[in-house]
Amino acid sequence: MAPRRTKSSGPVPPSRTLVIDNGAYTMKAGFSSPTASSTASVIPNCMARDREKHVYVGSQLEKCRDFGDIVFRRPVEKGYLVNWEAEKEIWDHEFFEDKAPLHCDPRETGLLLTEAPNALPQLQTNCDQIVFEEFGFASYLRCPGPMLNAYNDIQAMFKAPARDAAQSLLPAEIILLIDSGYSHTTITPLLQGRPVQSAVRRLDVGGKLLTNHLTRLLSLRQYDMRNDTYLVNEIKEACCYVSRDFKADMEATWKGPKGDRREIYETGGGIAKDYVLPDYHKRTKGEVRDHDPDVAGKLKKMQSGKGPEVAEDIVTLRNERFTVPELLFSPQDIGMRQSGIAQLVLESLSEIPFGLWPGFLANIIVVGGNANIEGFLWRLQVEIQALAPTECIVRVVRPADPIVSTWNGGAELAKEVDLLSKMSVTKQEYDEFGAGWVARKFGGDPNWKW
Amino acid sequence: MINFGVREVAISTVPVAPGWAYVPDTGSAASASQPSARKRMRTLPSASQHETTAKQDAKIMRELAALDRENHRDVSIPVPIRHRDNAGRASHGKVTPAVRKILQSQKTFANHLADYEALSAINASQPAQPNPPPPLTSGRATPTTAGPQPPVGTKRSYKKRESAATAPTPLRNVSTVGESSTPVVSKSESSHDTSMTDAPNTLLGTAVPPASHPEDNNPLLISRVPQMPSQEEIEKMLAAPALSYNEARGSLTAEDRRKPAKHFCDVCGYWGRVRCGRCGGRVCALECLALHQEECFTRYGA
Repeated sequence: MAPRRTKSSGPVPPSRTLVIDNGAYTMKAGFSSPTASSTASVIPNCMARDREKHVYVGSQLEKCRDFGDIVFRRPVEKGYLVNWEAEKEIWDHEFFEDKAPLHCDPRETGLLLTEAPNALPQLQTNCDQIVFEEFGFASYLRCPGPMLNAYNDIQAMFKAPARDAAQSLLPAEIILLIDSGYSHTTITPLLQGRPVQSAVRRLDVGGKLLTNHLTRLLSLRQYDMRNDTYLVNEIKEACCYVSRDFKADMEATWKGPKGDRREIYETGGGIAKDYVLPDYHKRTKGEVRDHDPDVAGKLKKMQSGKGPEVAEDIVTLRNERFTVPELLFSPQDIGMRQSGIAQLVLESLSEIPFGLWPGFLANIIVVGGNANIEGFLWRLQVEIQALAPTECIVRVVRPADPIVSTWNGGAELAKEVDLLSKMSVTKQEYDEFGAGWVARKFGGDPNWKW
Repeated sequence: MINFGVREVAISTVPVAPGWAYVPDTGSAASASQPSARKRMRTLPSASQHETTAKQDAKIMRELAALDRENHRDVSIPVPIRHRDNAGRASHGKVTPAVRKILQSQKTFANHLADYEALSAINASQPAQPNPPPPLTSGRATPTTAGPQPPVGTKRSYKKRESAATAPTPLRNVSTVGESSTPVVSKSESSHDTSMTDAPNTLLGTAVPPASHPEDNNPLLISRVPQMPSQEEIEKMLAAPALSYNEARGSLTAEDRRKPAKHFCDVCGYWGRVRCGRCGGRVCALECLALHQEECFTRYGA
C-alpha cells in the first residue's frame, strides 16, 4: 500500500493550468489560474490537406482559403483520443513550439484534459503515459468532459440569481448533462459533480453523422458533394433545424403528385432555403437566402446565354433542412437500432432511484455543437416531458456557448487550486507509483483505498 | 421449400401489379401471419411481408458505415516532415520505448475496441476475478408507494429553494451548525480520497418542514413524492465503476420497437408510400418512381 503523504509536503502546485477539452472536431484550450482567466481558443483538432497538397495543422486551418476537396485526419476518433502521432503534432504546434499560440512549458504547467465517458482502458493508459513521459506535465487530471459542466454556474442558465462569487466553488448538485458533439451524444447524470457511471448512455449520432447524411442526400438529389464535407458542414450549420411538427413540415415541402405541382412547393412554404455555394475564387463563404422560385429558371438562362461570371451555384434545401437533425430524435429513420435522445434519457434515468428523477428532469443541460441547432431544445423538452412522469417538471437549457461550456467548467475548477490538486496526479506521484496507480485513481475504482 | 404438395392460393388482397404496389404500413405485426411462398416471392420480391430482407439489411449496414467515415475516400495525411535542425520544433527530451510504441501505433478505434472485447472475453472465461460490485438496486418506487414521510407540504421538496451554494438542499445538506460550511475543504484532512468524493452529503431531509396546516391530512391535497434514496444508496451509486464502451451504447427501447418504421422516398425524401417492385426501395409517387426505376433497372444485380 502506498505510504500516506500529506499534501503540504508535496510539491507546490503549478501556477497555472492548461485546460484542454479535446473534442473530435475542435479542441478547446486555454490557461486558467486563480488570478487570471483566459477564454478558450477553439482550435480545429485535425490535420487537413487541400487540393494543392498543402497540409494545415490545427489552427493553421484558418489560413486556408480553398476548402474544395479538402481532406482531414483527426486524431480523435469516435470521441476518443486514438492517434497520438497526429495529436502530438497538433499539440506541439499549439502549445509547445516557440511560436505556438498558447505557448507553455509543461514542466511548470498543470494539465486538465477531458475524455469522453466510457473510454477504453488502453487508450486511457496511453494518454497518461504520453502526458507524463513525453510532455512531462507537472500535474495532470484526466476526467470525463461532461463532469466539468457541473462547475459552471448552472443556476444562472435557469434564470435564477447567479451564484455568490465569494463562496467557495461547489459543483452543481444534480444535473442531467447531454453532450451532443461531433462523434456522438452522451447522457450523463451528475450528482455533486460526480457522474453516475451506471446511468451513462450514448447515442451514436453526432455532428459527423448528420453532416454525412446531408452529404448523401444532397449528392443524390443535387450536386455530388461527397468530397466537400467541410462545405456540407457549413450548410448544415447554416440551414438545418429541428422541426416542431415533422409531418406538417414534410407536407409543406412535398412537390405534389405528377402534373399537380403544389404552389407551396414552388414558393418554398417558408421552409425552403437557397444556399449559394462558394466557388473559392470570388466567393469564399457560402450564403443562405430564402428560396426564390425564379432563380432556378434564371440560372438556366444564364448558363445557356451569358458568361459564367454571373452564374452562381445554388443548392435548394427543402426537407433536408429538418430530416437531417431529426436523426437525433429518431435514429431508426436510417435504420440504426437505437432510440432517440428522449428515450435514452429515460433509459438512463431508469438506472437511478426514482426519488432523484424530479431533480434530474428539472435540470437538463445540453452542451456540444448540436445544441446550437435551432429548435433542438424545444423539441427535446417536449419529447422528454411526454415520456416523463406527469408530476415532474422538465426544464432543458443550454449554456450561452454550448461548445466551450465544458472548457469553462474546467477553467472554473482549475481556479480552485486545493480542489484541483486533490483530484490530480503530480509527475512525482506518477514516477513513484506508476501508470496503473494513476489509472485507478482516475477510474474511481470503488475498491481503491489509500 | 417443401410444402407437401399443398398449392397455395393467393389470399391476400394485395394486387399483384407489375412494377409497384401500395403497401399498408402495418408494422411488423402483420408479417408473421403471412405465409411466405416462393412463387410469390419471385413475382413480388419486395412486397414480401418481412420488415427488411437480408439484402436490405446489408444495404443499411453499408450506408451506416459510410455515414461514419471521415472522408469520402481513403486518405492518409502523414505528419509533415521538418528539417533536421529542429527549427522551432518542441523537444520533450528522450522518448521512452513505451511512448515510442504509442506514437508509432497506427491502430484505429475499431482495433482498440476489438482488442478490448477480446481481452474482456478472456477475463470473463477465467473465474478467478474479484467480484464486481453488486448491481445497483434502482429503487424505482412508484409515487403511490412512497414510504413514511411527513405529509406536510412535501411537494416543496422538488422545487428549488435557494440558489446560494451553501443553502441546505435535499442533496447537499450543509449543516447549519457551521462545522462544515465548506464541505469540500473539510474533508481534506480525513482522506486523500479518490478523485471526486468532495461534499459529504450526510443526512437527507434535515431541512425544516413548513408549518402545518389543518388541511394537511386531506387525502385530496396530499402530494406524494417518491422517497429520496438513502445516503448509502447514493454513495454506492456514485462508486459504481464506469460501464464499458459497448455497455453504454443506448438501446432500441421496446416502445420504439413497436412503432411502425418510417419510410422515406429514396428520391425526394417525402414519405415512401410506394414500393419499387424490383428492389424494394420506397418512393413517394409515380414521378419519383419513374426516376428511381431509371436507375434501378440499369443497375446490375439489383
